[in-house]
Amino acid sequence: MTNIDTGARKGTGTRSPKPVQSSTKLKRIHDRRFALMILPALLIYALFYLYPTLSNLRYAFTEWDGLLEPRFIGFENFTRTATNDDIFRKVLGNNIEFSFLVIIFQTAFSLIFAIFLLKNTRTSIALRTLYFFPTILSSVSVALVWMFIYEPNLGALNTLLRGVGLDSLALSWLGSETITLRAIAFTQVWFHTGQMMVVYIAGLQQIPQELYEAAEVDGASRWQQFKSVTWPMALPTTAVVLAYTTIQSFRAFDLIYTMTGGGPNNSTNILVTLIYQSAFGEYRFGYAANLSVYLVVFILLLTWVQRRILRTKY
Amino acid sequence: MKATKNAKAFKLFIAAAFALTATLVPLTASQAAGEVRNQACKNEGETTGTFSTSLVCAKNAQGRLVWQRVKLGFTKLPPVPALSAPDGEIDFYHWRAEDRTVFASIIAKFEAANPGTKVNQVISTSADHEATSLQKIRGNQKAGLIVTLRGAHFNNAVAGNLLEDLSNQQFAKRNVIASMMGAGRVKGVQYGIPYHSLFNNPIYNIDIFKKEGWKLPKTFDEWLGYCRAAKAKNYVPMAWMGGFRPQAGQIFNSALMSIGTSEDDIAAKATAIDTGKAEITEAWFKTMAGKYAQLRDAGCFPDNPKGVTEAAGNALFATGRAPILPTGTFSMGGIKTLNPAMKNNMGITGFNWTNDRNAKFTGITNNTFILGVNKTAGATERRIARAFISFLLTGPIAQEYANGTTQHVTVLDVAYTDDDLRNTSSIMSERLLLAPRFLFLNLTVRNLVEDVLIDIVGGNTVDKAIEDGAKLIKQRF
Repeated sequence: MTNIDTGARKGTGTRSPKPVQSSTKLKRIHDRRFALMILPALLIYALFYLYPTLSNLRYAFTEWDGLLEPRFIGFENFTRTATNDDIFRKVLGNNIEFSFLVIIFQTAFSLIFAIFLLKNTRTSIALRTLYFFPTILSSVSVALVWMFIYEPNLGALNTLLRGVGLDSLALSWLGSETITLRAIAFTQVWFHTGQMMVVYIAGLQQIPQELYEAAEVDGASRWQQFKSVTWPMALPTTAVVLAYTTIQSFRAFDLIYTMTGGGPNNSTNILVTLIYQSAFGEYRFGYAANLSVYLVVFILLLTWVQRRILRTKY
Repeated sequence: MKATKNAKAFKLFIAAAFALTATLVPLTASQAAGEVRNQACKNEGETTGTFSTSLVCAKNAQGRLVWQRVKLGFTKLPPVPALSAPDGEIDFYHWRAEDRTVFASIIAKFEAANPGTKVNQVISTSADHEATSLQKIRGNQKAGLIVTLRGAHFNNAVAGNLLEDLSNQQFAKRNVIASMMGAGRVKGVQYGIPYHSLFNNPIYNIDIFKKEGWKLPKTFDEWLGYCRAAKAKNYVPMAWMGGFRPQAGQIFNSALMSIGTSEDDIAAKATAIDTGKAEITEAWFKTMAGKYAQLRDAGCFPDNPKGVTEAAGNALFATGRAPILPTGTFSMGGIKTLNPAMKNNMGITGFNWTNDRNAKFTGITNNTFILGVNKTAGATERRIARAFISFLLTGPIAQEYANGTTQHVTVLDVAYTDDDLRNTSSIMSERLLLAPRFLFLNLTVRNLVEDVLIDIVGGNTVDKAIEDGAKLIKQRF
């Protein structure tokens, strides 16, 4: 119990027993102290998170070049985006395709690698390190390396393909409106699979060995063991992997910006790169702020759907 | 009003062409020998040197080409020495990473001359610099010196009240080639000093052209012929970088040369699209876009052109796989870094998009890398910035910069010793137009227009690409 000196007997010269406080008053003082303790964090949050977020919302209703005074235009940005912006629609489609590809393949590869490298043998540890290695690289470095790999005339991939007589497969990996987004999605998967693999390994190692032993006794095949033991037991980990991968795929700005800048013809533009281009490339900060609002809405929607599915099924 | 501005800019440019040529060949007794004032000369724009005694080949009142003296500066007064700088530190925002070392050496000299003063380079890529630098310097006390690009970037900096008026600075009057200052001036106020004089024309590999016995193409059909000949010899005729819009767009400058009969006409057409008053479905645009298709069909561009990155394009040229780099003189320094053997092996030629050998314009120039003082920086920082600009505008320092970076400059009393800078002097005999691509001040529109042209090179039909692009551009207004 906290002793509170109210100073009620000031001037007596001796410390006398403190008067009994009402429990309500004590609680209020207690709460105030706690409130004061969270104040610094709250201030930082308000200053660096809440204020920019609300500012963004305010700018979304303006026409602003980032330098002069913003001009209030009501919902014009929102309606234009929804009804009269083909680039936005194309970009949204790109984002969905990109996220879908990354989520599917990154989750699948990381699970497969984790299953094969689950045991703590020397080879497994070495391979885990190897697969994890790209994660520690800078994303711009990764992008530059893959640009050299994908470059259509001098790049390693096409040189290799032509070298083995597969000229027809030597495609324009960075310049095609149909395959470049997929090529970048592959780079993103390569970049982050190792990281998700580690998450899966941690999750899979928690599965009790007895379950596999019981399944073996029941005569279950490896596939049946996976289907009936590994997969259901790995679902909580999968939920984490999915959530993280989804967020990553929406934030793949650095890879796309470095490798293609959103081209050719906006075929690799995703929402975050479009927001950057609108704000900093075209000085349309109001419009970019409006696109940010759309992005937040989409992420919220996607997260809500994911949570609903996972909660309902598992 | 726009047309008048451009007419003025063009007049300035003509004088600039003379003046810049003057800086290309250092004045020596032997080089000046034979050229006598008022005697006939052959190549308009050719010059004997840079200083007050230099002669330039120009038309006289009777329309004859004769050697004449041209006043280069705003005044007849000699250049002023650099200002002294107070103690302090500033950030210098620019985009030329390839100049870092040369600038570091110049900064060291500046700091030695001004103990207690420090200048830090803050370098981004040109695209990032154009995109974010104005936001970064606004209200930034330390960001004393900013370099802007001609066109939208500079205009936005002025509109945003970010640049200090340098009109009354002595270095802005006495140390520079007057005719090249137009790109840094708005309504008579000198907001910045264009430091570079660029030539956005194809650079060619001298050895390959000599070895193959090719002549430099002078008309559009000759360009098509060159492409077919080069392709037949397994070269990539032009190391065009369709994957990097800023460089892919350099030939757009040349293409725009062919759309009008005067600079005013060209400006009016480009501005109409830029402001939404006209669409790219106009006949002149279709004709111009059709020429992109002709170049594509003649095999001028690399395979899979839309995926060629800047690095790959430069590598194609630097390694001799492509005899032509369709960018400009600003790329030469980087090419020599990639392959030092390219030193003294690069020439420049105009890219005429008409079949008229006497076309009004046959080459492109630009005055850019505009040095400006950030009005929103601290008072001391602005003084340092002014002092550093004045330092850059002294002859010996500008000469060190020019020869060290293979970059022509707009400063008086500069002698070029770099072979590649000298080799490119031939461009002076072309009829040059100030880069019209920068008449597009709306970057959204410019990017979409350039995307249409890139799309055509990539294989789309002219009509389809224009139709798609026109729709997107319309939505932007």
